[in-house]
Amino acid sequence: MSGLPRRGLLACLVLLVGGAAANIGYADDASFTSKGGIGDMTGEQIYTHICQGCHMPGGQGAEGAGKYPKLAGDPALVSWEYAAITVLNGKDNMPAFGLPDDQLALLRTAHLSDAQIAEVVNYVRRSFGNHFKGSVTAAEVAKLPHP
Amino acid sequence: MTNDADGAGVSRRELLRMIGAAAGGAAAYQAMVSLGVAADSPYEGPIDLSGAPRGASVIVLGAGMAGMTAAFELRNAGYQVQVLEYNGRAGGRNWSLRGGDRYTELGGFTQECQFDKDLYINPGPWRIPYHHRGMMSYAKRFGVPLEAFVQVNYNAYLHSSRAFGGKPQRFRTIKADYQGHMSELLSKATHQSALDGAVTKEDQEKLLESLRAWGALDSDYRYVASTATSNRRGFEKQPGGGLSARPIPSEPIALPELLDSKLWQGIPNGDDYDMQTALFQPVGGMGRIGEAFGRELGPLIRYHAKVVDIHQDEKGVTVRYEDMAAAPGTVLTARAGWCVCTIPLSVLAQIPLNVGAPLANAIRAVPYASAIKVGLQFKRRFWEEDEHIYGGITYTDLPITNIGYPNTGYHSGGKGVLLGGYIWGLNAMEFTAMTPAERVQKALEYGAQIHPQYPAEFDNGIAVAWHRVPFTMGCMGMWSDAARAKHYDDLCRIDQRIVLAGEHASFLGGWQEGAVTSALDAIGRLHERIVAAGVPA
Repeated sequence: MSGLPRRGLLACLVLLVGGAAANIGYADDASFTSKGGIGDMTGEQIYTHICQGCHMPGGQGAEGAGKYPKLAGDPALVSWEYAAITVLNGKDNMPAFGLPDDQLALLRTAHLSDAQIAEVVNYVRRSFGNHFKGSVTAAEVAKLPHP
Repeated sequence: MTNDADGAGVSRRELLRMIGAAAGGAAAYQAMVSLGVAADSPYEGPIDLSGAPRGASVIVLGAGMAGMTAAFELRNAGYQVQVLEYNGRAGGRNWSLRGGDRYTELGGFTQECQFDKDLYINPGPWRIPYHHRGMMSYAKRFGVPLEAFVQVNYNAYLHSSRAFGGKPQRFRTIKADYQGHMSELLSKATHQSALDGAVTKEDQEKLLESLRAWGALDSDYRYVASTATSNRRGFEKQPGGGLSARPIPSEPIALPELLDSKLWQGIPNGDDYDMQTALFQPVGGMGRIGEAFGRELGPLIRYHAKVVDIHQDEKGVTVRYEDMAAAPGTVLTARAGWCVCTIPLSVLAQIPLNVGAPLANAIRAVPYASAIKVGLQFKRRFWEEDEHIYGGITYTDLPITNIGYPNTGYHSGGKGVLLGGYIWGLNAMEFTAMTPAERVQKALEYGAQIHPQYPAEFDNGIAVAWHRVPFTMGCMGMWSDAARAKHYDDLCRIDQRIVLAGEHASFLGGWQEGAVTSALDAIGRLHERIVAAGVPA
């Protein structure tokens, strides 16, 4: 039901370099990205741009009619596999972030690469007072079942 | 018996009259459908639930469109009905934010809506297509006046930050130019005999004639600056009266530039069945329908009730809940013979509920979409005064995606409220991750690229991010094809004494009509089962 596609940050940068007229504001705006731009984001940036919409700043979670899990101190995060599988496939009302591109529009979600999922899982397991041991690589995420 | 003019026997009208006389209006209507006279619709008029066993009781969870449709019809059929609602108001996602309203989202950010009197935004649904006959019917029955919702405004904009130097283009010019260029191209192909295999010689003449009419082509089948094309796309200088009034035709956009701009993507925005004229909105905001339902049900609805768990046994259903206003932390109990549960799956998946594995798995199979709406109040209606845009929607490739103009209060003095952003997908998630004040600020910054009046005229704003809405935790259920094939029927089936309803239990995801028709379908089946069981619980 939405209208036009969002333009990619990379495409925008190419345009600016190429001298075509464009509004600087969007290209320079760190608040928004797109599939083309996510690749450069750190785990922390992915968390603060996407995850904290529900899991809240500082991984504090929230409660209304239901709850968003509090990631700060969440013992389930001892398993990086659990965390990565949850990001890849979603859980209950949480959207999946590992879907192939051709399903993104139908489900209105976004795609994170294996490397990005590794980054954000590592970030969450080491932030908000969490000190879980070990870290995960893109190659290890790639071995998990993908949707 | 009357013969048709062409001698084909009984006339269609006569046949329908006879069917109606013999079998009633519904049969006549179905016959009309099969004869191609009327369009089919899942809504079949007021539901007939006659024969409810004396004393039979139903508890309805959720006072949104689905829950209140169920409660209203079941009560009217003689059932003892009670409704539990988490919010302090009726309507659920049928909701308007007005001046003086206070809204606290998950995470604790509280916004005070500072709009002037009679100004509002609808954070949730904002349009009712004419064929959503369930919604139309309840609006009529409750006396909620409707007014036109403008989906397509030829004078609103299609905007790409990457085309035309970022200058927004009128929908009118993009549509006329695209249509004109396509007609010219197809005419050339026809003249060059490129379509000989596909179209007969005789039909090629008709095709050319239609292309000239459809595209406003000249006598040589060219799409060029002319009175005919300017009548579609607008003039350089509009015609008027008197000596100063001679019109100047405008120059069409060249095809390569038009194609590069990708603005053609916005042309079909009013072509989907759901978006076709006529569409409506309730006068005063979408929330007027939920409010009307709430008045109808009155004391049957218990507000501020947060469901803790749901347990069914052989004789009925027990729902435990907290009264969040009067006694948070204290668990109260409600019981009825049967339960219609319209709690969004995003929330229901977390509530203990003893149902079979098929329903339990279905409840957990549906992720909820991220969506954002931002309402912006401005000191004057500059979109009308300066740009002559009366209602409708501008579409852009910027993160705000849409700017919606108010379809009401035209020419009124004083302030006006725009829908400053309506966003799905990744950009919606990014907007959600911000504070409400940041969302408003970003909507202002981006909107100013389309309407430079924004900074000078801005007054105040409010932003609703659906993943942070405490009562739904997401905008709407998103079914993948695989999940629907595997779980949808299980989600809708009655599980002993419990049946689910809501937009999530429909093929009209995100539409209020999905909630209404889902509820009617569910209570129809539930009623049959209750009547068959015979014994009131």
